[in-house]
Amino acid sequence: MHELPQNLANGLFLGAMYGLIAVGYTMVYGIIQLINFAHGEIFMTGAFGALAVYSKLGANVSIWLALPLMIVGGVATATLVAVLAERFAYRPLRNAPRLAPLITAIGLSIFLQQLVWGFPGNKSARVFPQLPGGPFHLGSVVFQSADIFVVVAAVLSTLFLAYFVRSTRTGRAMQATAQDPDTAKLMGIDTDKVIVIAFAIGAVFAAIAGISSGLRYGQIEYNMGFLNGLFAFTAAVLGGIGNIYGAMLGGLVLGLAQTLSAAYIQYIPGMSQFGSQDWSGVWAFVILILVLMFRPQGLLGERVADRA
Amino acid sequence: MTDTKTLTTEQPDQAALKPAVRMPAAVAHGLAIGGGALTAASAFLAWTYSSSFPGDLTISGYPGGLQWLTLTAGLLTALMGVIAAVPGLRVLAPGNPGNATLLFAVGGVAVTWFTLIAIAVQLHGLVNLTSGGWVAGVASLIALVGTLGLPRAPGSTVCAPTRAEWLQTLYAGAGLLAVGYLLHLTGNGAAGLVMAGAGVVPIARLCIVLKHYTGPTPTLRAAKRLPVAVDVVLMILMLALALEIFAYGVDTPYGQLFVGFLAVLCFSLWALSQSGLLRRATEIFERNRAWAAVLGFLTAAAFVFVQQSDADAALGVNVLIFAATALGLNVVVGLAGLLDLGYVAFLGVGAYAAALVSGAVTSSVHATFPFWAAALTGAAVSGIFGVLLGAPTLRVRGDYLAIVTLGFGEIFRIVVSNLDGVSGPNVTGGPNGIVNIPDLSILGFNLGNPHTILGATIGRFANYFWLMLIIMAIIMLVFSRAADSRIGRAWVAIREDETAATAMGINGFRFKLLAFALGAALAGLAGTVMAHVNFSVVPDPFVFAGPVPPNSAFLLAAVVIGGMGTVSGPIVGATLFYLLQQKLTFLQSNELLIFGVALILFMRLRPEGIIASRRRQLEFHEAEDAPAAQLSTAGA
Amino acid sequence: MRNRSLLMLTAIAAAGTLTLSACGSRAASGASGSSSASSATTVTIGVDAPLTGPLSALGLGIRNSVDLAIKTANKTNEVPGITFKIEATDDKASPQQGQQNATTLVADSNVVGVVGPLNSGVAVSMQKIFDEANLVEVSPANTNPSLTQGPSWGTGTKVRQFKSYFRTATTDAIQGPFAAQFVYTTLAKKKVFLVDNKLTYGVGLVATFKDEFTKLGGTVAGQDHVTSGASDYSSTVTAIKASGADVVYFGGEYPDGAPLAKQLKAAGYNGPVVGGDGMKDDTFIKLAGTASEGDYATSVGAPVESLDSAKTYIANYKAGGYTDPYAAYGGYSYDSAWSIIEAVKAVAAANNGKLPANPRQAIETAMAQVSFSGVTGQVSFDQYGDATNKQLTVYGVKSGQWATIKTGTFSG
Repeated sequence: MHELPQNLANGLFLGAMYGLIAVGYTMVYGIIQLINFAHGEIFMTGAFGALAVYSKLGANVSIWLALPLMIVGGVATATLVAVLAERFAYRPLRNAPRLAPLITAIGLSIFLQQLVWGFPGNKSARVFPQLPGGPFHLGSVVFQSADIFVVVAAVLSTLFLAYFVRSTRTGRAMQATAQDPDTAKLMGIDTDKVIVIAFAIGAVFAAIAGISSGLRYGQIEYNMGFLNGLFAFTAAVLGGIGNIYGAMLGGLVLGLAQTLSAAYIQYIPGMSQFGSQDWSGVWAFVILILVLMFRPQGLLGERVADRA
Repeated sequence: MTDTKTLTTEQPDQAALKPAVRMPAAVAHGLAIGGGALTAASAFLAWTYSSSFPGDLTISGYPGGLQWLTLTAGLLTALMGVIAAVPGLRVLAPGNPGNATLLFAVGGVAVTWFTLIAIAVQLHGLVNLTSGGWVAGVASLIALVGTLGLPRAPGSTVCAPTRAEWLQTLYAGAGLLAVGYLLHLTGNGAAGLVMAGAGVVPIARLCIVLKHYTGPTPTLRAAKRLPVAVDVVLMILMLALALEIFAYGVDTPYGQLFVGFLAVLCFSLWALSQSGLLRRATEIFERNRAWAAVLGFLTAAAFVFVQQSDADAALGVNVLIFAATALGLNVVVGLAGLLDLGYVAFLGVGAYAAALVSGAVTSSVHATFPFWAAALTGAAVSGIFGVLLGAPTLRVRGDYLAIVTLGFGEIFRIVVSNLDGVSGPNVTGGPNGIVNIPDLSILGFNLGNPHTILGATIGRFANYFWLMLIIMAIIMLVFSRAADSRIGRAWVAIREDETAATAMGINGFRFKLLAFALGAALAGLAGTVMAHVNFSVVPDPFVFAGPVPPNSAFLLAAVVIGGMGTVSGPIVGATLFYLLQQKLTFLQSNELLIFGVALILFMRLRPEGIIASRRRQLEFHEAEDAPAAQLSTAGA
Repeated sequence: MRNRSLLMLTAIAAAGTLTLSACGSRAASGASGSSSASSATTVTIGVDAPLTGPLSALGLGIRNSVDLAIKTANKTNEVPGITFKIEATDDKASPQQGQQNATTLVADSNVVGVVGPLNSGVAVSMQKIFDEANLVEVSPANTNPSLTQGPSWGTGTKVRQFKSYFRTATTDAIQGPFAAQFVYTTLAKKKVFLVDNKLTYGVGLVATFKDEFTKLGGTVAGQDHVTSGASDYSSTVTAIKASGADVVYFGGEYPDGAPLAKQLKAAGYNGPVVGGDGMKDDTFIKLAGTASEGDYATSVGAPVESLDSAKTYIANYKAGGYTDPYAAYGGYSYDSAWSIIEAVKAVAAANNGKLPANPRQAIETAMAQVSFSGVTGQVSFDQYGDATNKQLTVYGVKSGQWATIKTGTFSG
């Protein structure tokens, strides 16, 4: 059990990344009740946008100089994709029944994957630049510079978002739109703009998560958005969809659940065969189902009135 | 469509708009008929010098490949032109024969010019076209000009796009061109396709113009009832024709032909609906439902006789498995309104269950069930899994269910690849799956061996096609019986407003669970056949989104695109879907990309599906009328 | 061909008015006309591989290599009077699609042999279809021993499954034990941690490795299974470090192997990662970077630099202008296609330089006698359809390159 701190740390790093992606799901859902299935692909385009900037810069540029530019490039790409998707794919379907935008989202997800796949060299995994330094040791825990990046990014993003939603005019408009779009409109809030901003903020966070993923694992792939998006969406539901802090919390819980189940389920008598990393996804969903059974609104979600 | 009709008839008969090309009516009729005939005749000429264009269009006196389609479109134009010109023949096309002629002519232009452009592009340059090709192109245009001179239908509206619409088209086209150029610079494989997309934009705009020009589908007076015997003969003829057309479409050996085929088919269907013939045909089928069902089934069964090789039958089996599963999903999504994103797992449960009791050496259960027992086992096990999954999760509402089912779909694949005795108990054989599943033998009839019936050899896949057809009939029967029963109405009530339904005394949870279990059982039933057809069951195909149907995303898309809550919708959707992804291989690596775009466009243009249930269509109109109301309910 | 359909239709419809579609058969007559008219016969070699999707990098390498083999054969006029053509089908790594492609290839009477598929899971749904049509199928990549030797190969009862199925790829039954002997004797590591990515290839490899390793006296410190494509292997890494294993054996392909190697080294683990030919790819080194230093992978055949044919192949592939790399199975694919060409040559030679009307059966028989020096070494097939080439080479990563460590033949 002496590797428990290490496993906790691993879960935390993974969870922070899930949380960053989950914010996008939860914000969009909170405002227009749309499962933006293509959000995982936004995450992926962010990573590829950053890589494109890096490869333009050339390998002899210091990573510390390149990293801010990569973040800018990744964020710009992801935001552009998200805003375009909102404008041309989702907005025309704003009043259509729930399934139509969902199918659109599936189509968009396939489209974006294939588009990225079509670029030369993207048919298999691409090398992502690495942060120098490390490994660092903290007691028995070993971690990398990229892990610090994820945690710092997640903390900063959450703080920014808390400030933004609570204290800025746009943030309050966002809250108002989420509560009641009609009244918000009557109060002079440009709900279309609010929705675009929600998509854009989600994309910014997803792009940062995409870069984190590249930095941590050293490679990115055109289909990396699916599994990560799936788990991030699970995290958003786990935390209470529509709740920004819930998304972060859900991400952390899910990350920890995966890492810990992979490490310790096998020590439960009779479960020795169910402890591999491959099973951890299963346990993550079992936890989701359990949470939904006993707390259907998610960990931090408020009990919403039934929707028609 | 029925609703718009009542609207138009109520309006006073406004002065019909002027035709696009002003000319004396006689000239217009003459040009339409003559152009059509000439188009048809030009198909007998050689269109190109090189036989390297598929279909070999170099032979004079005998049409080949795409020329057959031009011939068909030309003949139909001329024929409908005659009907439009001679008042005495109006009974043959009770609707708007003028419009129908126009649409047939458009189909002719579409396929002819598509062919010419395809030749020029593929063989690099217009020089590859012979004078015959130019004759065809000009003839089809003559027919078009002629039909544009025919008087317009009363219901038609102003068709010229507004300035804003023109600009929209321009921006969209230019935007796509620019993006395509950018992609080209970066070496992306999709560059050419995006640029081609820029060409599609004005075509789409033209189609909308055409829609305004022709106006809504005409309403007809009630037709005289024919004796049942005549109806039956007519139905047989129509079904035979439909089968022949379908077999032709399935057989198309190369993508260009399939595209041309689709173009002619779409415009012809549009023309037939304008001519009123489609309505008359529907009436016949509607008043003889029992006959229609039996004949439809027989027609489908006759597919194995009109196919060219067992490869088509293999295609047919896979289409049927896909369609049957989609119909099962329609119970869950279309009727009960429960969003299931992991439905393919139930197909997998059925397939694994059947494989386990198939007597395969690699199966961990050493039992050999006869097929009926295996099918029941598959359906039952799948249904049980549906209940197991549904019981804890159906109490939560809406989108939470979506994620739980999505999770279940993923879990299923992970679990079956781990139950191999190493990382779990040995049940499914892990990633190696259960292989070498023996062919089915029903009443001594081995489905794996070819049989000779009526002088035609019925291969292995044709056998399975028939088996799957019977299963399909059962699933359709179950679906329609359930939908029309008290249960079905309860489902619809829950879908529309669960709170109100509960207030009226419907046990929401129990009915939802029933929908879930029934849907799962139907998929399981389809899965049992799939296991035998593929000889094997492995975990890989049971994914959320993959390139090959059936997977959860494609199943859902087939249901939604086909039309939710209807019997024929998912079948049409699934068939179209499967054939498209099968036939568009000339797009090579870009077919998934196109698929993604098609999904987006389809949802934008016709979100209610190809075959929309009346209720859903009303729903969409309601949404258009009162967007605010929709928002308020959603944002609560 | 439409005539028959029309006949049937009228029989069913009992209506003789359906003359609309009375079109003759132009395509069929044209095809037979051209083959009899021209002196050079064109035959087709089919390819079935995933050309799109996550495995497309491997699949495109297979297709391009077959294309290269065909072009080379046509250029050198390998079989006089016979021109080869490629017909590439995309199975999208789906058994269902693979089966569909198989029926299409079988229906095309010009197809004399098929190279593919990549996945063992796809192969099982195709084998029987090809077998019933006596159409030769040579897989460059299937490693599951049961495909040729039957489900109970492990217990020693080997039964050939399908007489039309051959493969140039080596089986897990050889590669896994060979790696185990290398790790136990040469590297002298006695405590192994096993990881697989829960796909057919990896699971089979790890199972055979484990058997041999424990037989030799080594201990298995632990075993984990990872989700392919998940890329976060931190729990596995922690478990490996905690287990005290001095070597990691990874069963799987390089896209999963590289992040594992990378995360292991980053976490401070010093032992080598050993894998199979799915890992022996230049991309592995590229992706894992310096972390790959000191890792090993086994691969079939003699070392590449000792074989002239391999060098020629690599040079020709580069000159061929293919945009995608030949990847892990390029060499095997070239040899697979070439074995079919050799078989066609033998059949034509026995039949006065011309192919018989339906050459499939004859080609299937001729495959057993095929023997030539290919890219991966001497290519021929044993009584099960497996490659007789039992030579394997261990490569290690040395200063960012795969370098030959040891070559040998696996014996029992």
